[in-house]
Formats: sequence, structure tokens, C-alpha cells
Amino acid sequence: MRTLRTCSALAIFTTLAGCATAAVPPELVSARSAYDRAASGPTARLDPADLLTAKETLDRAEKSLADNADAQETKDIAYTAERRVEIAESRARTLVETQQKDSVTAQMNASQTATVRSTSAALGRANQQLASQGQELQTSEQRRADAEKRAAQATADLERIGSVKQEARGMVITLSGSVLFASAQWELLPEAQVKLGDVAKALTERDPDSRMVVEGHTDSQGTPAFNIDLSQKRADAVRTYLVSRGIAGDRITAQGFGLARPIADNGSAEGRANNRRVEIVVQPSAK
Amino acid sequence: MNTHFSLPALLLVGCASTFPAPTQHLADAESAQRSARELGAANQPTAQLHLKLADEQMVLAKKEMANGDNRSADFMLGRAKADSELAVALARELNASVEVKRAVETSETTAATNAIQGAVK
Repeated sequence: MRTLRTCSALAIFTTLAGCATAAVPPELVSARSAYDRAASGPTARLDPADLLTAKETLDRAEKSLADNADAQETKDIAYTAERRVEIAESRARTLVETQQKDSVTAQMNASQTATVRSTSAALGRANQQLASQGQELQTSEQRRADAEKRAAQATADLERIGSVKQEARGMVITLSGSVLFASAQWELLPEAQVKLGDVAKALTERDPDSRMVVEGHTDSQGTPAFNIDLSQKRADAVRTYLVSRGIAGDRITAQGFGLARPIADNGSAEGRANNRRVEIVVQPSAK
Repeated sequence: MNTHFSLPALLLVGCASTFPAPTQHLADAESAQRSARELGAANQPTAQLHLKLADEQMVLAKKEMANGDNRSADFMLGRAKADSELAVALARELNASVEVKRAVETSETTAATNAIQGAVK
């Protein structure tokens, strides 16, 4: 009976308390406003999970108010609900910042990758060009070495058929008249043609732009007029042959000096033999 | 009549006193506070404010627990935890913002360096 009476009293107390219209605390007003703001903004899309938690907390606050529970409890729950809304909003903004950072980093990485690829390709092209130039240089060096070798060979050939001297007027190649011509003749002997072919080749390879003078000389036997004529014809024969072997005609002239310029004593057979000669004077190009 | 209304009131007081001490919620709130401090919440004005509110609410909650008002303490701890978690969120937001600025600066510096060094674009 006592228990029944107690329960009845408790029921009456609770009912009376429930019937009273509780005032909405400012915490709840603020929490509702905060939730509405977040729910209609980007947070709803960016962080729906945290916003749902905030909504559930707000619902608890609303229920607390409706149940007319302890006013302080309603305030506490509403306060917490507002914080939950703010947490959701902050996390949404953080997500945006993170996405922005990822985007900037991705763009930078893509740009770096593209730059590295382009630079690498350019480097590859430069290397290829360098290799090609190196190859050309090597080929050029090889050609030069070959030319020097041929020139050396030609000089050696020249020295076999005559003497080579450097004088103030240029390089003087002296060919013995007896090697080139029969006595009192101006037609080149077959062996002489072969040798002069080597001379022409050597002269072409040494300096393609050099100028040359072919000089004919005789000993003192015979008249000066005969010797002038003979030496001129011999010089012409040598010039003609050299031109036929590729030396430009305007680079080479021929002149007969007869007995006027002996280099040895005409009193001996050996001296006369030395005086019978053809000299090719090579004047280097101005370059 | 007086007897009828005082008895339920006594019963209600009795119910309140049986609310268990919210030790787990206290530990949770303290953990949230520590996280906020570790993330540098004290360096961000708004986060710092919420950390301070959480501190005050923690003090109040502990006082209520000491007075045996565990139910009120539990609600107060809920507030403290929410404020600490908000401080954490704000600190993380600030850190993210700093990282964005840093990324933009790095990107600009890299682009400038590439330009100076003549990288092919």
C-alpha cells in the first residue's frame, strides 16, 4: 500500500513536471542555428558522418527539452551538439585544404615529370648530336691523318726521283733531266710520267691552292738559244703533264732558263749532269 | 500532503546518488585534451579558447564528482570532450592550411629553379 502510494505520487510529480512548458535555452537555439548552417553548406557533402553525429546530439537535446528534463542537462547536450557541428565544419574545411594540397603537389609532380622527360629528351638529342659530331671529327681526323700519310709518302716518292729543298722562293723540287728526258729531247720518258704522276698527287694533296713555276735548266753544251728553247720545251712538257694529272692550269707556269742558272761546274760530266734539270718551285697559298 | 511530496523528492535524490562515477568519460575527455595539446592547439587562437573551456569544464566535472553529483559531472565531461575534440579539429585544420601554403611555395620555387637552370619545358 505504501509502495503504491509512493508510485502514485511519483507519477503525479512527473506528469506535472511534463506539462510545464520549458523555455528553449539559448544553447539549443544556437545549436539549431549552427546545424542549419552546416546542413545547408558544403559540410553536408564533405563530412556527412560527423554532421550526422551532430544531428543525433541535437536530437537528444530536443528530446531532453521535450521531456522537460533537467534544464542544465538540455543546455549541456545542446552545447555539445553545437561543438559537434563545429567539429564537422572544421573537418570539412580540413578536407578541402588537404585536397588542395594534394592537387598542388600532383600538379607540381606532373610538371616536374614533364620537365624531366623534356630535358631528358633534349639531353638525348644533344648527346646524339655530340656523338655525330664526334664521329665527324673522328672521320675528319682520319682523313687528315690519311692525307698526311699520303703526303709523307708522296714526299718520300719525290725524294726518290729528285731532291726537295725549302728555299726563300718556296719549296724547290729538283728533278734530274736524265730521269725525265732523253738527250736533247723534250718528251717525257714513260718512267718519268709515272714519277711526275706521284709529284702531281703530292702537290695536290699538300696544298691545293699553291702556285707553281716549272723551271727548265740545261748544261752549257750547245748554243744558248738552243738551250733556252730546249729548257722551255722541257718545262712546258712537265707543266702540261702536271695539268693533265689534275693541277689547275692557272696555278702553274713554265719557264726555260737554258744554261743561265747552273748549280754545278759545267767543266765536269757530273757537274753538267746536275745542271741538266727541271725545278718545280712551289709557292704556298696565302692562307 | 507534505509527506506525499517529500518522499518522491527523496527517491529522486536517491536515484541521482546511484549514478556511477563517469571515470571512463573522464579518461576520454583527458585523452582528447592531450591530443589537442600535442597537435599544437595552444598555438591557434580559436583552438586555444576551446582548450581553455575544456580545462574549466574538467575542473568543474571533477568537483561535481567529488560532491557525488556524477550525473552532472558526466554531462560536463561531454562538454569538455567536445571542446577538446573541436580544438583538435581546428589544430588539424591549421596544419593543413600551413601545408597547402608550403606546397604552393615549393611548387613556385621548383618552377623558378627550373626556369633559372634552363630546364626544357
